[in-house]
Amino acid sequence: MTTTLGRIMLLVAKDLRIEARGRQTIAIVLVLGILIIVVLGIGFGSPGSSGQPVTGFQATAILWVAYFFGGVLCFEKTMDVERRDDALAGLLMTPVDRGAIYVAKLLTNLTLIAGLTIVITPLAVMFFRFDLAGHAGAFVAILALGMVGFAAIGTLFAAAASSTRLQGGLLAMLVFPLCLPVVIVSTQMMRELFLPGGQLSMPGLALLAGFDLMALTVGWLVFEQVLEP
Amino acid sequence: MASASTGPHPVPADAPAAAVSVQGLRKVINDRVVLNDLDFAIPRGSMFALLGANGAGKSTLLKILAGLMPPTGGRVHLFGAPLAGHAADLRSRIGFLGHNAMLYRELSARENLVFFGRMHGLADVGRRAEDLLEQLGLADRMHDPVKAFSRGMLQRAAIARALLCDPELLLADEPFTGLDAPSARTLEALLRSLHAQGRTIVFTNHDVAQSIALATSVDAVGHGGVFVLGHGRLIINQHARLLDAAMVHLEMSDR
Repeated sequence: MTTTLGRIMLLVAKDLRIEARGRQTIAIVLVLGILIIVVLGIGFGSPGSSGQPVTGFQATAILWVAYFFGGVLCFEKTMDVERRDDALAGLLMTPVDRGAIYVAKLLTNLTLIAGLTIVITPLAVMFFRFDLAGHAGAFVAILALGMVGFAAIGTLFAAAASSTRLQGGLLAMLVFPLCLPVVIVSTQMMRELFLPGGQLSMPGLALLAGFDLMALTVGWLVFEQVLEP
Repeated sequence: MASASTGPHPVPADAPAAAVSVQGLRKVINDRVVLNDLDFAIPRGSMFALLGANGAGKSTLLKILAGLMPPTGGRVHLFGAPLAGHAADLRSRIGFLGHNAMLYRELSARENLVFFGRMHGLADVGRRAEDLLEQLGLADRMHDPVKAFSRGMLQRAAIARALLCDPELLLADEPFTGLDAPSARTLEALLRSLHAQGRTIVFTNHDVAQSIALATSVDAVGHGGVFVLGHGRLIINQHARLLDAAMVHLEMSDR
């Protein structure tokens, strides 16, 4: 007898195996992320260029732009796997709880986004020359809480969009307003972190955690309604 | 879409012999009435073919029976149990073969079957997957990704997936589409074999002649309702003109 947790693990393993075979998502997401860092970095004036160097606020904002668009691509691609050849209908014919599919997709998306952040964050650190070493723990905490809320919303809307053919930029337009609190709070917290004597804002952290809880609850409850084969 | 007359075949939803019974089934998609007040029953162990043109509502009906799509109105009972509220329990008794293969194209046929088998909670799923693939002539290609399969091979892999949980009811949406003659004959033989084992089979088909060749009695439903055309033969009357939206009930003989 397979438990719900077992089924979630099976689903995540399946998604990651498919990604490992095709590398369709991570490759394009990484290229996009790197392009955003480089292009916006040059546009705003990276250290060494003739213009003003990028401020801490701009650097974290640029990072979030890369996280956001890379993340949206992840959400689309991981749902696209289910839509191709109607695989989702085959999945829905098994006795799996649809909430379990939501959690599995969320975990897959978070894994892929983690891969994105692991690559582009050090790149941004090198490019914009801000000191991450002194605040690594706090930076990871903000990022982790921010990404959970972002992925919780993105996974839900990607499922809805995939059944309505609402793809591409439209998904980003849908997700962005809802994730604005996460983006604003995370960016502000990161900016404060990199100010001289900057510290981790605990109220900000609580705000992110509250948003995550709300987004996860809504996603779990609503996913069944939006998931149509 | 016009409402149609109701034939004598509809039976009460709680009829013990019915594998499928449908009462007042209605489905509206984007303000278009696809199924209108449908009443019919399919006895256990019968083979039921649905004929009709694209858009007639065949696939919609099968998806509703499979629990993949909620009806707008009406009641569906499978094996005497209401589908609403029991879909999760009933899924392991249903095999569904869709238009598409419903497989993950990057995974091999065996990996797909093992994955779906584990999601069903089946024991010894590796052996079961290999047995099914061998029966369907895919033993030598079971480790290849299904994206490399031909249409016929893909269809056979899809059939293996649909039969994975040894279903009592097989719902097959245009299973013959895209198959070459030998593959179609293999599938026909497989359907006969499953039927001989007492399974209930409901399939949609565009080929009237092929369906009639399998049948001894024929009913038809169309334009959302039921048209009884007769038993033992397909009566071509004014209703036949409505076959673009018709479904024909073909009970297969024991031959």
